Amino acid sequence: MGLLSIIRKIKRKEKEMRILMVGLDNSGKTTIVLKINGEDTSIISPTLGFNIKTIKYQKYLLNIWDVGGQKTIRSYWRNYFEQTDGLVWVVDSSDIRRLDDCRMELVNLLKEERLSGASLLVLANKQDIQGALKPTEIAEVLNLSSTDKTRHWRIVGCSAYTGEGLFQGLDWLVQDIASRIYLID
Amino acid sequence: MEDDQSEANKQSKETQDLAAHKKHTEMLQRLSNMHHSRLQQTAARRSAADSSYPSFETVQSFLSRFSDSKISVEADLQRCRALAASDPDAKPQIKAELDKVSASISDLERLVAETSYFLPPYEKFSFKSKASSNRDHPSPLVKEFDDLVGVNTAPQSKIVVTASPGFRNKQGEILVKTFSPEERDGEFSLNDLDSCDVYLKGRFRALFIHRLNNCHIFAGPVLGSILIEKVNGCSFMLASHQIRIHEAEESDFYLRVRSKPIVEDCKGVRFAPYRMFYEGIEKDLRDSDLEEETGNWAHVHDFRWLRAVQSPNWCVIPDEELVALRDVSDVKGKSFDQD
Ligand SMILES: Nc1nc2c(ncn2[C@@H]2O[C@H](COP(=O)(O)OP(=O)(O)OP(=O)(O)O)[C@@H](O)[C@H]2O)c(=O)[nH]1
Ligand SMILES: [Mg+2]
Repeated sequence: MGLLSIIRKIKRKEKEMRILMVGLDNSGKTTIVLKINGEDTSIISPTLGFNIKTIKYQKYLLNIWDVGGQKTIRSYWRNYFEQTDGLVWVVDSSDIRRLDDCRMELVNLLKEERLSGASLLVLANKQDIQGALKPTEIAEVLNLSSTDKTRHWRIVGCSAYTGEGLFQGLDWLVQDIASRIYLID
Repeated sequence: MEDDQSEANKQSKETQDLAAHKKHTEMLQRLSNMHHSRLQQTAARRSAADSSYPSFETVQSFLSRFSDSKISVEADLQRCRALAASDPDAKPQIKAELDKVSASISDLERLVAETSYFLPPYEKFSFKSKASSNRDHPSPLVKEFDDLVGVNTAPQSKIVVTASPGFRNKQGEILVKTFSPEERDGEFSLNDLDSCDVYLKGRFRALFIHRLNNCHIFAGPVLGSILIEKVNGCSFMLASHQIRIHEAEESDFYLRVRSKPIVEDCKGVRFAPYRMFYEGIEKDLRDSDLEEETGNWAHVHDFRWLRAVQSPNWCVIPDEELVALRDVSDVKGKSFDQD
């Protein structure tokens, strides 16, 4: 038995899921994680490095890796790819000018072989801002419909400010991962 | 030696025990000292890692920590395997062992993640020369995108024409915008302005600033965040929960900010506290949760300067150069709802 398969077995026993959260800087990743975890979101600095949160969700233990998205540190994302069950791509739906950057970064991320088995949840965040694009518009700009057929993906509109949509997105992700890796349940 | 020996021989049983006990205590003391100095060394190495970019030592110590840990994990697994083969009833014991192994793997993973900021890119590790040969340009992905963005924008811009409210493509004008209560949940953009004075009165939710030259910007409180890219020779008066500044040169920032402002790829940028006034600004600040002066305007984080010493890219504006409190209640100029 290889090392990896042993680890996978252990993970399966404890119903652990590893979730990687990435996206451009300022998209709201850290705010989302803290909001989900019921923590104070009033003072958040841009992430230099990463945060890990372990959250009990339904009967699962989610290990959420929130990695900083500033340009300088995007090249470090690859250090976090290993064994990712779920990928959350966070978009600032009001930052229309940088949507192209956003699309390019996502396209490149999805090429990554180590992430090929991960379910993809796109969070169209900041829906509370008046000029924000709707999830369907974000899906079109990001060209999600042309995503590889084998990829499980979904886009959900949300606001880390009001909390709306966050659990809807997370529910889908957790169910999708569960149905793939914990077949007998 | 001889003397010691003979003296020892003379000692009674009790004194021998006493001596043994003393020796034992001394040894413990020595071990504890060694442990302490090792801890101190680690701490010193760590702060060395904080203050200077990947030093050889950090990489070296990481590699040795990593391989020590890896060897011990592999040994544990080997033992589990042997145990499983020899004793079919050892399951619970194996499970406990595996849990421990799993924990050390998590620690290892964390170590890699934490250290990754100080380590050279993967390709530069010389595990095998083969690995690096077919990837001789480990340039950051980001750079390639920059080049591609321009080329690929055309087919995507269909939807993007629903441009957000803002001032764009102006030269030498005074631009004024007063936010109505209905507009408070909206965002605002300032793009491609040259030699303009901009006054944004009232509060709103997000501000995007891109490509300004020689402009003066005065803005009321922003509930969410402000993103500034590519500005040169400008001054800004801004209040917000988060402020990110990219590729700014020779510009002054008067800020009130709840979290630490950050700069990335900036040169010659200076900081001071927010000094702006218009009728009703106190209430707007309060309603945006920005009435408190946190002092964070001086706690700038430079993402291109991950060292303990002050970044050469930014500084505080000296007192004698500070502008006076600016009352913008009565400024008039061109006003556009949208452009
Ligand atoms: N209006 C509004 N603002 C939001 C929302 N989510 C996040 N923000 C604001 O957006 C800014 C950026 O949020 P962060 O959580 O720091 O973003 P991030 O993606 O973690 O950024 P990096 O750590 O640099 O990668 C903060 O000022 C948040 O208050 C949202 O749903 N609505
Ligand atoms: Mg963050």
